[in-house]
Amino acid sequence: MTEFNNRIAAQREILLTVNSAHWREELYGMSSGAIDRWLLANNIDRSSRLVSLLLEAAGKLFFLANKSQEQVTAEYRLRSSEVSGLTEEIRLALQRKN
Amino acid sequence: MNKHFYAFGSICRGEIDRSSDIDLLACITGPNSDIDTAKFSVYQHERLRSLWAEGNPFAWHLHLESRLLFSSDGVDFIESLGIPAAYKAGEEDCEKFARLFSESLGQLSVTRVNATFNLSCMFLGTRNFATCYSLWRGHPVFSRNSPLLIDTPLSVDTEVLDVLTRARVLSTRGIGNALSDEEVMIARRSVPAIQAWMAQLLAEVRG
Repeated sequence: MTEFNNRIAAQREILLTVNSAHWREELYGMSSGAIDRWLLANNIDRSSRLVSLLLEAAGKLFFLANKSQEQVTAEYRLRSSEVSGLTEEIRLALQRKN
Repeated sequence: MNKHFYAFGSICRGEIDRSSDIDLLACITGPNSDIDTAKFSVYQHERLRSLWAEGNPFAWHLHLESRLLFSSDGVDFIESLGIPAAYKAGEEDCEKFARLFSESLGQLSVTRVNATFNLSCMFLGTRNFATCYSLWRGHPVFSRNSPLLIDTPLSVDTEVLDVLTRARVLSTRGIGNALSDEEVMIARRSVPAIQAWMAQLLAEVRG
C-alpha cells in the first residue's frame, strides 16, 4: 500500500473508533474544520483528553495543515506506529467516557 | 533566506464558489519559524526542485496554475524552474486512486458509520484519478470537476458529483449541511458507472 493510502487508512481507523460511539453528529474528518464542527455539534469540552488526543493524531497525519490539492502527491511521511498508538488511546478515552 | 509566496489552484482558474478555499504556497529554505501551515502549504525550495525533476503532478499543477504573490529577491522561483519533467507515474497513480475509491466503497458497503468520510474519499479517488489520467494524456485538468472535464469524461448525474463534493467539503473543512440517507443512496447508485469508467481508463493507461 502507498504512503498516501496508508494515511487515509489511519484516518479512517481513528474516525471509525470515534464514530462507533453515539454522537449527535459524526466526526467527518481529521481536518481542523471538521473537528471544530464536531465539537460544536456535540457540545464537547475542547479541553478534554479525547480532543487533545484527536488533535495530536490529526497533527501527526498532517490533516490540520493539509491542502486538498496536495493529496495528489505523496509528500508527507506517515509515522504509523505513533498514530496507531494514539488510536488505541482514543479508544480507551472513549471507553472511559461511556 | 529568500521566500516566495504563491496562490494556486481554484482561484487561479477563476473557479470560485461558496465552498472554495484559497490555496497558498510558501517556498522557503531552512526551518519554518513563522508561516502558519494551516494557511500555507510550506515547501522547501529543494523539495520543489526534486518534484520538478520527477515530473510530479503537484509540480505540473504549480507550473500550470500558480501566481506569484510575493518574492523576497524579485525572482519568480516557480517560473525559474521551467517545465517539469515528463509525467511518468500515470499508471501507478491511477491505480492508487482507483484503490482508494474501491477501499472506501468497501467500507461504505459494510457500515453506515463514517459514510460521509468514505464518500469524501470516493470523491478524492475519483477526482485525483481523473486528474492523473488527464496529465498522462497530456491535457491536464486540475479542477475539482476534473472527472467531468477530461477527454473521456465520467457520465453521471451532476447530483452525484454534488453529493460527493459536499462530503469532501464536510470532511476537509467541516462546512455544509450533513448528508441525508437518501443522498448517500444517490451516490451509491452511481458506483457501477464510476467503476466502469475507471476500468476503461485504467486499461488505456496500462496499454
